[in-house]
Amino acid sequence: MSADIALQMQDVSKHFGRPAVQHLKLAVKRGELYALLGPNGAGKTTTLRMVAGLLAPDGGQIEVMGIDLATDPAAAKQTMAYLPDDPMLYDKLKPMEYLEFVAGLWGVAAQDAAPRAIELLDWLDLSKHGHELTEGFSRGMKQKLALAGALIHAPQLLILDEPLTGLDAAAARQVKDLLLNHVQAGGTVILTTHILEVAERMAQRIGIIQHGRLIAEGTLDELRARTDGGTLEDVFLQLTSQA
Amino acid sequence: MRGKPGSSWWLLQHELRMFWFNSSKRSDRQVWLWILGLCWLGLHGLAFHLLRGMPALPQEVLSIMAIGATLLMVVLGTFMFSSGLKLSVDSLFERGDVDLLLSSPLPSRSIFTVRLGAISVGVASTYLVLAAPLVNAGAVTGHIALLAVYPALLAWAIGTSSLAMLLTLLLVRVIGARKTRVVAQVVSAIAGALIFLLSQAYNLMHTGSRGLATDMVTRFAAPGRLLAPDSLFWLPGRALLGSALPLLCLIVVAGTLFVFTAQFTHGFFVRGLQQAVSSRRARIGRANKPQGQFGRPLAEVVLRKEWRLIARDPNLLSQVLLQLLYMLPLGFVVLRADSGVAPGMAAGLTILSGSLAASLTWIVVAAEDAPDLLQAAPAARRMIRLAKVAAAVIPTLVLMAVPLVWAVAQDVVSGLLMCFTVVASTICAALTCLWQGRPAPRGNFKTRGKSNKVSVLLELIGGFSWAGTGFVLIRAAGPGQNAYDARWASITLSVALLTLLLAWGTRRRAS
Repeated sequence: MSADIALQMQDVSKHFGRPAVQHLKLAVKRGELYALLGPNGAGKTTTLRMVAGLLAPDGGQIEVMGIDLATDPAAAKQTMAYLPDDPMLYDKLKPMEYLEFVAGLWGVAAQDAAPRAIELLDWLDLSKHGHELTEGFSRGMKQKLALAGALIHAPQLLILDEPLTGLDAAAARQVKDLLLNHVQAGGTVILTTHILEVAERMAQRIGIIQHGRLIAEGTLDELRARTDGGTLEDVFLQLTSQA
Repeated sequence: MRGKPGSSWWLLQHELRMFWFNSSKRSDRQVWLWILGLCWLGLHGLAFHLLRGMPALPQEVLSIMAIGATLLMVVLGTFMFSSGLKLSVDSLFERGDVDLLLSSPLPSRSIFTVRLGAISVGVASTYLVLAAPLVNAGAVTGHIALLAVYPALLAWAIGTSSLAMLLTLLLVRVIGARKTRVVAQVVSAIAGALIFLLSQAYNLMHTGSRGLATDMVTRFAAPGRLLAPDSLFWLPGRALLGSALPLLCLIVVAGTLFVFTAQFTHGFFVRGLQQAVSSRRARIGRANKPQGQFGRPLAEVVLRKEWRLIARDPNLLSQVLLQLLYMLPLGFVVLRADSGVAPGMAAGLTILSGSLAASLTWIVVAAEDAPDLLQAAPAARRMIRLAKVAAAVIPTLVLMAVPLVWAVAQDVVSGLLMCFTVVASTICAALTCLWQGRPAPRGNFKTRGKSNKVSVLLELIGGFSWAGTGFVLIRAAGPGQNAYDARWASITLSVALLTLLLAWGTRRRAS
């Protein structure tokens, strides 16, 4: 595996009675924002959950930052963070307590975690809610706190499943800025989204998955060249209707 | 008969349907309905057999029976009040449909009245169904007065439910919505256990104190005093036995209480609902920023998280408190320092500690809110699970420490044997729950037995085996040592260990 590759998937398959992901080959470079698009039930979430180590593939190999996920899952997980579409939070914890717990799970040293937690809560506008339990948070606030948890250990690879769902314009802007900052700082982001404008504006490369197979991949211009052009929405609809 | 959509009758039908759906799970409802229905019909036959040919009771006997019937009503009243309080809290804080109802054109007063009515009917339903075989058989066999049980129980439920709702609204007004949830759950638990505690308190009284209590009751039972047989104090019992005037009085009092609650406090209800929503965001903008405690070892991080979640869960707290309340009589036994009760006390403490540990382990292991977060983390799962078991075992043992230390101080040998069975039962129950636990939402705590019968059965067998071990070991170690007890101890100990082995052998793959 090349040193500049953050994620490499080789011939990865997963079945749940029927095939969910079939012989998927995917390579995401370090410092890249990669958008994985596809219709509902295409296998996007299954793919991300396998990368995050939450699902074991039936076949194939996954390497994260050059570490084989099957042979050394702890080392691979140490380098990444996963944020599902339904935030993984505890209703009865306060924001700082949640970050304290997540930092503990990733073994982050106090001198790194404490200032980073304060910085993240400030940046995401959650500091003023520091004394509240998350059970009273709005969907957007929960999503932002889960994102803060994902970033508390400064992961090299950030995996996000529909990170902008349910966010208002201001919160969506904050999250997008944070992701772009992460990429500019050398981090890698893989995200799925149904908001194609987001992928169009933010992603350096786009992969389109359907029926568990990667049917197209490349920059927006490369994808346009394969079709009649137009917006990403036009490209997406053409490619998924052809497959 | 379906009500006109939007009418109070229609809304009441909806509420009762919701109560029924929430009471039983769809998958097992049919089976349970058949089983319970058959038992219920069987009870009708039994009641018919008992009442057939029974002569009508003379007035003197009825006035004595009214005392017993009133005491029964008091016992039922505590249970009804406890259920009413729980349902009132649910209607304010748990049900997700209140916003929908209040945003509809229905007047808020009607919504509140119907909801209070549904709570009352819901509270009464269990007791009405239980009483039905006796009452129906009585009606057929000529004991028509027994039909009064239906309106008497319904009126009693309406009265206690109205009081429960009034208390809930008062709590919201005085201490706020957030604290009301906790306090109401605790009061509900205490009310549910009140009669048990009082009965145990009498049993545990010294002979002199019992005599004093009996004298006092006798004095009050003298003619013209509060507890005299013809006193108004026994009115609920007389109503239950079918006396027309007392029954009418009971219905009027309950009806007045209901109307007063529905008509004059519906505004509190609406404000309570608004507060329930807004209280969650009430603390915005505190000056000081919270500081996290980072860099702690993984086990400590997990322990702190689990204990915070336990301490902030009012439902769980009330359940734990209920278990502690049932432990109180054992505490009185300990304080009496009577060596003769040590084996029984060991058995009781052992069962309680196992039960408490199993409940807490279920909460921290099976009801984990974010299993994906733990699985996605590089932290060793084995360490996390061990820390979770410790989070359940440590508080249990801390609570048990007080009676155990006292027991050791009284008698070192039996005290240490008690410590052994309590610790063993606690750890075994926690491990059984860890190995057999299935993921479930935290809200399913009270019905966890239904969803995982194997685990609960193994916990029960283990708990009783350890309790039996404690009982016979202390007897065997006591004066007049008995080889027979020692043999029994080896049998119960073997069952306890085999149960643990079985729990491990059939553990779920995830563990």
